[in-house]
Amino acid sequence: MIGLAHYLVLSGILFSIGLFGVMKRKNLLMLFFSTEILLNAVNIGFVAVGRFYGDMSGQIFAFFIIAVAASEVAVGLGLIVLWYKRTGSIDLDSLQMMKG
Amino acid sequence: MLEPISISLQALNLPSLLPVGILIVGAIFIIVLDLVTKSGSKSFYTMLSILFILLDLGVVIGYYGEARGMFDLVLVDGIAKISQIIVLVTSAFFLLLAMSQRRFQEFSMAEFYALFLFMIAGFQFMTISDNLILIFVGLETASLSLYTMIAMHNRKKAFEAAIKYFTMGALAAGFYTMGSLLFYALTGSIEIHEIANRVILNDNLSVVALIAATIFMIGALGFKISIVPFHTWTPDIYEGSSAALAGYMSIVPKIAGFVVAMRLFEALLNLNVLWIENMFYILVIATMTVGNITALVQEDVKRMLAYSSIAHAGFVLSAILIGTSEANSGLFLYWILFMFTNLGAFTVLWMTRHKKNLWDERYQHPFVKFKGLAKINPFMATMMAFFMFSLAGVPPLSVFWGKLYLISAAVNAGFIYLAIFMALNSAIAVYYYMKLVIFMFLMEPASEEKAIFTTNATPVLKVVLAVAVAFTIFASLFIDKILAFIIYHVTMSGF
Repeated sequence: MIGLAHYLVLSGILFSIGLFGVMKRKNLLMLFFSTEILLNAVNIGFVAVGRFYGDMSGQIFAFFIIAVAASEVAVGLGLIVLWYKRTGSIDLDSLQMMKG
Repeated sequence: MLEPISISLQALNLPSLLPVGILIVGAIFIIVLDLVTKSGSKSFYTMLSILFILLDLGVVIGYYGEARGMFDLVLVDGIAKISQIIVLVTSAFFLLLAMSQRRFQEFSMAEFYALFLFMIAGFQFMTISDNLILIFVGLETASLSLYTMIAMHNRKKAFEAAIKYFTMGALAAGFYTMGSLLFYALTGSIEIHEIANRVILNDNLSVVALIAATIFMIGALGFKISIVPFHTWTPDIYEGSSAALAGYMSIVPKIAGFVVAMRLFEALLNLNVLWIENMFYILVIATMTVGNITALVQEDVKRMLAYSSIAHAGFVLSAILIGTSEANSGLFLYWILFMFTNLGAFTVLWMTRHKKNLWDERYQHPFVKFKGLAKINPFMATMMAFFMFSLAGVPPLSVFWGKLYLISAAVNAGFIYLAIFMALNSAIAVYYYMKLVIFMFLMEPASEEKAIFTTNATPVLKVVLAVAVAFTIFASLFIDKILAFIIYHVTMSGF
């Protein structure tokens, strides 16, 4: 029987994968994928917990997260396109003009 | 089968959403106007946006209705009112900086003004709600607009800053949602006051999960208000964006973040979980100290101001740790005073903005640039010195009163060591502010050319500067009135 704990563990594992990706990935596109995994991991958790409590607000939160994630991708991809046009690279190491 | 629901319009309390509505309608109006006319001049859009902001300000000040609206999603209490006033006044002043001498690409586009208004609406949503969904939506609306506006500056550095900010912001959004999920899983509610109630009522709550949720929330809000382990983006973003926008970012996103932090963390600190209080103690002291120490070694004035704003944020964060209504009033007082001083400092940087980086390959405003400014342009040098003295907390100037009030709040609440650390940090900070004053007054100028320091100055910018300097110098005259207003509203909303 799959219960709430399983969903929460799945959510936690996905979140860890996403967090690991954000920290390790050098490619900006991959980095954005990782942040999407982060947000979707939370979505699973919200829907499961909402179902557990018999409360709608968890699922509503999940919908809002989906919408925000979509608009975030739109802005993020726009920025990557700009950067690629300027430098011809989407590598994280190319963002090194400012440091210190 | 769902029952049909009927709601009376009265119960929605639509006036509570009117201020935000004005801005959103205004933003859409600007976009449509740009589509229709195609020839709107840039100062027309600036004035139109300021008009909408002032209209909004009037509605915010004049609102005396129910605190709750829209099925309890909206909460217009005292602190919401004060923080909205701070947000709107700051926005109006910084928007005036768009009327500069040199033409920048972003200020000639109508989209910039529309995004600006959307961003303010987002910050307002953050302050007028204690529902985690609405705060999240407000936070993201504001952040996404801000990333775009930074990138519209159209320099390579600005793109880099926007991408860095975006990546950090996306991570912060992940943290925020994870924190909300944990709170929701623990208590079954996503309203802050309800979460606090249920945590108190429920005895066999998992403390580990509660701490994890708090850490995620500190991570998310810490990115916005640049608490120390999450502060690394701040100087880079300030350096990459225009001085006008950098100054804006040092004030408005932070006050919105502070209000959310106040609502959430003070409820948690009241629960007397020892671990949370210790964690906050460490965060506050680390933020002040690291910000100040790193500011000592900066070569660029804008980066120095970025680290100084981190230190000031840490200073103000102590109010949330102390948690008395005296401290909470101190938070708003400090931020109002800090706002005018920082407005002045960044306006000076904005006025001296030159087409080329004359003084340094990388920096636009290195310390060397201001060498001997007192001989070239004594007026500007004196004003900058006033702002630096004020930020350092020299007595009659504005920020001193904020520092005094917060430190006395700490002493009154029994946080003696915290008060000592706050005083020590103010002393460290004097060094790097005075460094700029020494560069301006005691060194010989590199060139006598006066014009390069005023390439971007216009009468409008000078007026903004005059307002900022007047407020900085004469703050002591009307500080008791501001304080009375703040204390009334803070105690009214139960903080």
